[in-house]
Amino acid sequence: MSIDIYWRIGTHGDQPSLRRRVTSRGEWAPVVPGSLAPGVRHGRRDGYSYVEHMADVARASEVSGFVGGLLPSFPFTDDPWATAAALARETTTYRFMIAYQPGFLHPVQAARMSATLQRATGGRVVYNVISGGGGPAQLWWGDRVDHDDRYARTSEFLDVLKGVWNGGPFDYEGRFYRVEGAGLPEPLARQPFPEIYFSGSSKAAIEAAGRHADYYLSWLEPFPDLAAKFGQVREHSAALGTAPKFAVRVDVLARETEEAAWDEIRRGWEHVDPAALVSPDGDSVGWLRSQSFVSWPVRHHRELEVSPNVWGGFHLLRGGPAFGLVGSYAQVAERLDELIGLGVGAFILAGVPHLEEAYRVGEEVLPLLKGHDLRVASPFGAALSDSRA
Amino acid sequence: MTAVPEFLVTVPTRGDGRHPLRRDRGDWEERRALPAFVTDPRGGVSGPSAHIAQVGRAAEIAGLDGALVPFDPDGEESLVLAAGLLRGSRHLRVIAGFHAGIATPVYAAKLSASLQRFTGGRLDWQIDVALDPVVARAHGDFLQGGDRYARAEEFLTVAKGVWHEEGFTYEGVFYQVLAGGFQPPNAGLPFPRVHLGGIEPGALALSARHADVHLFDPGQNLDVGIAGLGDRAAAEGRAVACGLRLPVLAREDEEEAWRDARGLWALAGGADEDFPAPDPRTGLWPGFDRIAGPGALGLVGSYEGVAAGIRAYRDLGITTFVLSARPTVEEAYRLGERLLPLFATEFERETAHVH
Repeated sequence: MSIDIYWRIGTHGDQPSLRRRVTSRGEWAPVVPGSLAPGVRHGRRDGYSYVEHMADVARASEVSGFVGGLLPSFPFTDDPWATAAALARETTTYRFMIAYQPGFLHPVQAARMSATLQRATGGRVVYNVISGGGGPAQLWWGDRVDHDDRYARTSEFLDVLKGVWNGGPFDYEGRFYRVEGAGLPEPLARQPFPEIYFSGSSKAAIEAAGRHADYYLSWLEPFPDLAAKFGQVREHSAALGTAPKFAVRVDVLARETEEAAWDEIRRGWEHVDPAALVSPDGDSVGWLRSQSFVSWPVRHHRELEVSPNVWGGFHLLRGGPAFGLVGSYAQVAERLDELIGLGVGAFILAGVPHLEEAYRVGEEVLPLLKGHDLRVASPFGAALSDSRA
Repeated sequence: MTAVPEFLVTVPTRGDGRHPLRRDRGDWEERRALPAFVTDPRGGVSGPSAHIAQVGRAAEIAGLDGALVPFDPDGEESLVLAAGLLRGSRHLRVIAGFHAGIATPVYAAKLSASLQRFTGGRLDWQIDVALDPVVARAHGDFLQGGDRYARAEEFLTVAKGVWHEEGFTYEGVFYQVLAGGFQPPNAGLPFPRVHLGGIEPGALALSARHADVHLFDPGQNLDVGIAGLGDRAAAEGRAVACGLRLPVLAREDEEEAWRDARGLWALAGGADEDFPAPDPRTGLWPGFDRIAGPGALGLVGSYEGVAAGIRAYRDLGITTFVLSARPTVEEAYRLGERLLPLFATEFERETAHVH
C-alpha cells in the first residue's frame, strides 16, 4: 500500500520560525523591512505578492518528495481555488488539496472549476471537504446553516457534484440544492473525480464521512484516542458498506537531535502570551476535543507532551491546530510509522517556515519511514526489504 | 472628448482551431494524428491550459488591453482560466464571466481578492444575469424574470460591501451577512471592474447602479441602449462606459477578407448559394452566426474598413471593444500588428491636440 504524504501550504502568510509569532512572509501582517514577497519595493509596487512565495513552497515540496499540498481556506487566508489555479502551471506532479466548505460555492460551479483544473493539471486536484467551523466566522461568510444541517448539506453537495460530473442530464431535488438537466460538457466530464478527504469530528461528520470519504481526515490526537476515533468511523462506514482510508494532519518539528527539537520549542514558548490560552469561538467538535487532551493551566512546555513526541502546544506558536510531533528525525519517523500501523494511509504534514521545513522533512524524515509492512520488531525486517529492492 | 478605446480578445473556452468547427487546439477534441512514421513529441505535453496560456501571451504581446473569458456552460470554467491567464501575463486585464448562482457573493469576492493580490489588480468581472432558463436550471438556479436582476443587485451590493467595509452586515432577500468584510491584505484592493450586458430596462437599470462597463452586441439598438443607459446612470450620479462584443475578420484588402469569409462559411457547412451579404445599412455580416456562435454579427473587410467600422461605433460612444476571431492566437497577432496601429496614430494626434 502506498502512503500519500502532503505538505501544507500556508495560505495566510508564514513565519520565519516558531520562535516568535511574526508573519513576515506575505502581506498578511503589516509589511516590515525584510518581509518576503510583500509587493512593495522602494515604496513602489513591484508586481510580486504572496503567491510567489506559495509557488516556491509548492515547488520545494514537489522536489523534496511530497505528493502535493493542502491549501487551507479560512476568512483570513487566500482562496485555495485561486491559489491552485495560479500555481497549476508552475508544478508538474504536485497535487492541490483544495479545502472548501460546501455552502459557499454551488456544487455545479465546484464541479466546473474542478474539472477545468483537472484538465489544466493532468488530474492533480484533491478535495478537503470541511463542514465544521461555525460561529462568527460562518456568518462572516454569509452562511447560517446549523451544525448538523451543514453535514446534511455537505452530503447533498457531494451528491450533486458527483451527479453532474458523469455528464448528465442530472436532476436533483434536495433540501439545499436543486438542479434540472445538469451535467458537465463531455471533455470536462471525462476527467477523474478528485479524491475526497473529509474532515470533522462530530457524530454528524463521522456519519457523512461514511458515505463520501475516500480518506477520513483527522487532526493529530494522542494515539489511543485517534485509534478509537478511527474505530468509530470504521463502524459507521461498515454499516454503509464502505471502507474509508485514514489521513492525519500532523505538524512536525524535527531536528537532528531530540534536544535541538525541544530547544526550538522552548525558544518559542518564552514568547507565548498567557492570555492566548483560550479556546476560540465556534462549534468545532474537533477543537474542543483537542483541548480536552490537555489539563490547563500549563506552566512548562514539556507538560504539553501528552505522549512521547506528541505535543499539544503548536497553536500557541502559530495559527492552526494544537497537536504535532516534536523530536529527532528518527523519533518523528517512528511516530509516523506508528500512525501508519494504526491504519493511516495518508498524511498532511506541516512545519513553519513552510519552505525550509518542506526540504528538511522531505530530506531527513521521509527517507527514514519504514511503512506498515516493515514495522516489525525484527531487526531483519529492513534488511529483507533492502535485499528485495 | 473621445476616451482612448480599449481592445480585448475573447478567449476560446471550448478549444480552438484553424477551422470554425474544429476544436482540437486546447485538447477539446482529439488532435489529428501524425502518420505513424513521424516522431510525435506532443503526446500529453500540450494540454488545454497550455493553449489558453498561449492565447493570453499572444494577446499581451500583440498589445491588446485584455481578454474576456466568457461564462460558457458548455466550456471550460472561466475563473480557473482567468487565474491562469493572469498568472501568465504582466499587463493583461482578464475579465472572468460568471453568474450570480455560482457562489455566495462573499465567496466570489474572497476568491477575487486573492486573484487581485496575486496579479496586481488585473481581474474584472462579467456577470451574466439573464441566462437561458434551461442553462440556469442546470446550474441550480431557478430564479426567473425580474428576480434575477434583484438577486444580481444584492450580489453586487454584498460583494462590494464586504470588499470595502469592515463589519459589514446585510440582511436581504437572497443574502445575509453578519459582521463581514475583509481585513488587510485583502482590504483596500481595487474591486474588479464590473461588466454587465443586456438591453432590457432591468439590465440597463442594474448597470446604471453597478456596472463599470456595459457590453452591448451589434444586433442591439445601440442608439437607444446607450442613451437609456446614460440617462439612468446620470440619475444615479454615475457614468458607465459602453462596450461592444464584436467578431471581426480583417485582412489586407476587401477581396482577401471576403475570400476568407467564404472559406470559413464553407468550412462551417454553409452552401455557396446561401452565402449571406453584409447588411448594407450597418455593414454587419450575419455569416458570423455559423462561425462565432448563434446570432453573432460582426465586421468583415480590410484593416482600414474594419477600423472605419470601429470608429463609427466610437462615435456612438463605445469605448471598449471585445473582439473575437479564430484561430485566436494568429488573429490576436494580426489584430495587434495590423488593426490596432491604425488607431495608435489617431490617439497620438488626439492626445497632441488635447495638450
